[in-house]
Amino acid sequence: MQTVNLNPSSHQLLLFICSLLILPHIGTLQTLFIVIGFCLLGWSFLTLYFKQLSPSKWLLLPLSLGLAFLVFKFHGMSLGREASSSFLLVLMGLKLLECRQKRDVTAVIFLCFFVLITPFLFEQTIPLTIYSFLIFFLLLTMMVVNSSQEKSLKTTYIYRFSAIILLLSIPLMLIGFILFPRMIGPLWAMPSDSNTAVSGISNSINPGNISKLVLSKQQAFSVQFNGQSPAYAQLYWRGPVFWNTDGRQWTLSPPKKLINTANLPPATATYSYQLMMQPTQQHWVYSLDTPRSAPSSLILSQDYQLISPKKISRTQAFKITSSLNPVTDPVLSPEARQRALALPSTTDDRVFKLAKQWQHNNPSSIEVINQGLSYFNQQKFYYTLTPPSLGKDPVSEFLFHTKKGFCGHYATSFSVVLRAAGIPSRLVAGYLGGRYNEVGGFWDVRQSDAHVWVEAWVDNIGWMRVDPTAAIAPERIQFSLDNEQQFGDEVKFLIDSPTGISLWLRQLESLALTIDYYWQNSVLAYGPEVQNQFLSTVGINGWEDMMLTLSSLAALILVSVTLYIYRISRLKLDPCQRVYLRFCRRLKRHFFEKHPGETSKHYFERIIEVDPTLSKPLSAVRQSYLNCRYAKADIQPLITAIKAFKC
Amino acid sequence: MSLTLANRFALKRFFRGEPAKSLSLLLNHRRIFILPNKAGLALAVVILLMLIASINYSNSMGFVFTFLLASAAQVSTLFSFRNLSGLSISSMKCDPCFLGQTSAALFTIEETQGRERWAITAKIDQRIVHIPHIKPYSHYQLSVPIVPKERGLSALNTLTLSSSFPFDIFRAWSPLRFNRQILTYPKPKSFNQPLSVGRFLHNGDALSSTQMGTDDFIGFSPYQHGHPLHLINWHALAKEKGLMVSQFSTQQQAETWVDWFNCSATNTESKLSELCQWVLDANTLSINYGLRLPQLDIKPSHGILHQQTCLKALAVFKQSHANR
Repeated sequence: MQTVNLNPSSHQLLLFICSLLILPHIGTLQTLFIVIGFCLLGWSFLTLYFKQLSPSKWLLLPLSLGLAFLVFKFHGMSLGREASSSFLLVLMGLKLLECRQKRDVTAVIFLCFFVLITPFLFEQTIPLTIYSFLIFFLLLTMMVVNSSQEKSLKTTYIYRFSAIILLLSIPLMLIGFILFPRMIGPLWAMPSDSNTAVSGISNSINPGNISKLVLSKQQAFSVQFNGQSPAYAQLYWRGPVFWNTDGRQWTLSPPKKLINTANLPPATATYSYQLMMQPTQQHWVYSLDTPRSAPSSLILSQDYQLISPKKISRTQAFKITSSLNPVTDPVLSPEARQRALALPSTTDDRVFKLAKQWQHNNPSSIEVINQGLSYFNQQKFYYTLTPPSLGKDPVSEFLFHTKKGFCGHYATSFSVVLRAAGIPSRLVAGYLGGRYNEVGGFWDVRQSDAHVWVEAWVDNIGWMRVDPTAAIAPERIQFSLDNEQQFGDEVKFLIDSPTGISLWLRQLESLALTIDYYWQNSVLAYGPEVQNQFLSTVGINGWEDMMLTLSSLAALILVSVTLYIYRISRLKLDPCQRVYLRFCRRLKRHFFEKHPGETSKHYFERIIEVDPTLSKPLSAVRQSYLNCRYAKADIQPLITAIKAFKC
Repeated sequence: MSLTLANRFALKRFFRGEPAKSLSLLLNHRRIFILPNKAGLALAVVILLMLIASINYSNSMGFVFTFLLASAAQVSTLFSFRNLSGLSISSMKCDPCFLGQTSAALFTIEETQGRERWAITAKIDQRIVHIPHIKPYSHYQLSVPIVPKERGLSALNTLTLSSSFPFDIFRAWSPLRFNRQILTYPKPKSFNQPLSVGRFLHNGDALSSTQMGTDDFIGFSPYQHGHPLHLINWHALAKEKGLMVSQFSTQQQAETWVDWFNCSATNTESKLSELCQWVLDANTLSINYGLRLPQLDIKPSHGILHQQTCLKALAVFKQSHANR
């Protein structure tokens, strides 16, 4: 390797690229490491002008060890995305400081390529992808600069080379993306990247975390129905089912029995759809109530939770069929009945009194439920996102004192009173409704659509969905929450159809969401399952087939790229030369070949020796060729002379 | 030209080049080879790590950029190839030199495709010359230093043109052998027995004799058959003085024999070194000298051509002659 000093302009370009690489990490990584990264870049920038500032080996070594220790101290001995991203950023900065030779620059560029993909571990949006393509282009340019030792960045060829190579490599990349066999699951256990918690429904439910969730605009999942969508009020997206409560919090117990979907009675009113889950770091798949068939990779539990054996840590798509009619379960096992009747230890007499009151007229389960719903409707219950905090006995305090709450409060208290009345009940968490995107024809379900409802056991019918929120705020069942319009206590819904600019903005948003939907659906969700499914439709089954197709297509593409490059170099012949060479090929058929490097004079003389009659027309051709080629004369005389030539 | 299969895959072809047949070669797909260099292997490791990270996090965009990098690396090989292909290299000359000295092999590189070429390296025997840029359709004069290892006529070693352009991850190279020979004279040896004009004088009276030569005009003489035409004094003919020729003399200072059998050294190479030094000394002293070797006599003369003849005779002298 040469010991050429890095010239200032390429050093500046390298620094520019590195700072572009740090920018997307702002907000995802510890601020400390971002600052360290920029400080190292700044230091490196200063060494450009003050040579004496460049650190010696004896300073760099302890500095590297210190910074590595810092990363270790913050993230532990993990290979998690935050730890590795921070470490790579620091490494990149340090390597820049000792950038003296061509070899060092190469090392920094390679590090940069690795750093380039780290922001995608946190989010994979379209703007970030475009941004990264730009950086990728600059990195290729930097490689050309480094390889040619070009001093000036104004030279166009360095950009031309990297642009052409980038464009030509895109088809090859697409083939690799589609056909490279995807493996399922992480290769090593991924540490839970704790401090970037994904918002969503979690293992335990209390009214507080639901109302916090409702303020989030983040997408939870999106659904595209094959054919007609069900009515809005039917869009209950079913998630975890909770049996255990202490009156404030519902906790999860592992689902016990699993259902074989094949044994279910045939369903009526079915809807099939494609569900695309955003990463939740949880196991539940939110299917429309009640799921009837699901991909074999998912498990359906006895209480109709659709569960993925692996945490959903990336965008994943599922094809699911649901029926709007609940499945009729014949019997409730004694053990399940006991669980569904367990009351929180804090339940006080007032709750039993209320249960008695609901049972008063008619002891049948349906009547009690209806009584309960009308109780919520008639009493002065108030639907709010900011309810007053509750004390030791939350159910009684809410029912008889504050009467202000959110779906979590209503569902919890309703379920507890039903249990007090001897009706088995459980809580279901999930989402309700969504926004229909007319441009893309899909439902966009956001965290703000999170909802909690109750299921009660009614003999001869089975588990029945009861939504007490519907009794208090019927609008919630028909419209999504408008979380841009929440002021104070009042809860606003997306009832008014927008007009004017806001309609236009809403349509623009729909368009953006649609692009995002297809981006997520076809690009980000392209994992092992989708790949298998997609490729088997074109007859490629298994990884051996994929590798075979991959290599043959890649070879094909390389051949076409080669031909393309060959063509561009062929096209460099000027028209005059082309006409002349075509004429020479014609002569070859009648006489003999022109030797490579033979002049027209010599070649024509050889022909004239054979056929002296051609002397005149050949010299006419030659004269016009020389005029055209070297005297920049018009090409027309040459063409005419060749046309006049007969042999 | 076609190659047999055995020739085609002979390892020699990749590093030493095809047997020399001409003085001019065109770089094409048959003469250009390409392999990843160290940086390329490092990049392969980086790509592998990126792939593992992408698989581990099932990250689609990770896959996209990993494959993009791999594809760009793959596509760059075509451009590395194109950077060399279509160059026409001609060996111009190699000046003879004394053993131990540095000579230069001169080449002309002609760009025939109308493309610009960057960062090409030329190498003969570990001596490297960088060619930063060749313009379209231009000629580049390349001079590569060579240090011959032994006396005599030797074939010019393989000239390797290589380039890692554009990404410095693949090295394309072309080993070229030209039908060109280098003449290497023996190493002149200065020793304590300088060429003494008197000592090796063959005919003692030669010093004072006037010999016909070309240096100084000394008068006219009548034309005789065999006199060169350019010596005829046409002015004299025009003045009807008859056909006269101009006469020139050479101031004959000394004449000597550089003689193999007078060498003090015993082994052949040392003897040749001594003879070489005497030839040089004789030339510096501007005396006529002849060279006497076993089985070869070069008549006394002087001038640069004569010197070269003598030196060449010394250069190609074979050991077997000495033993006879």
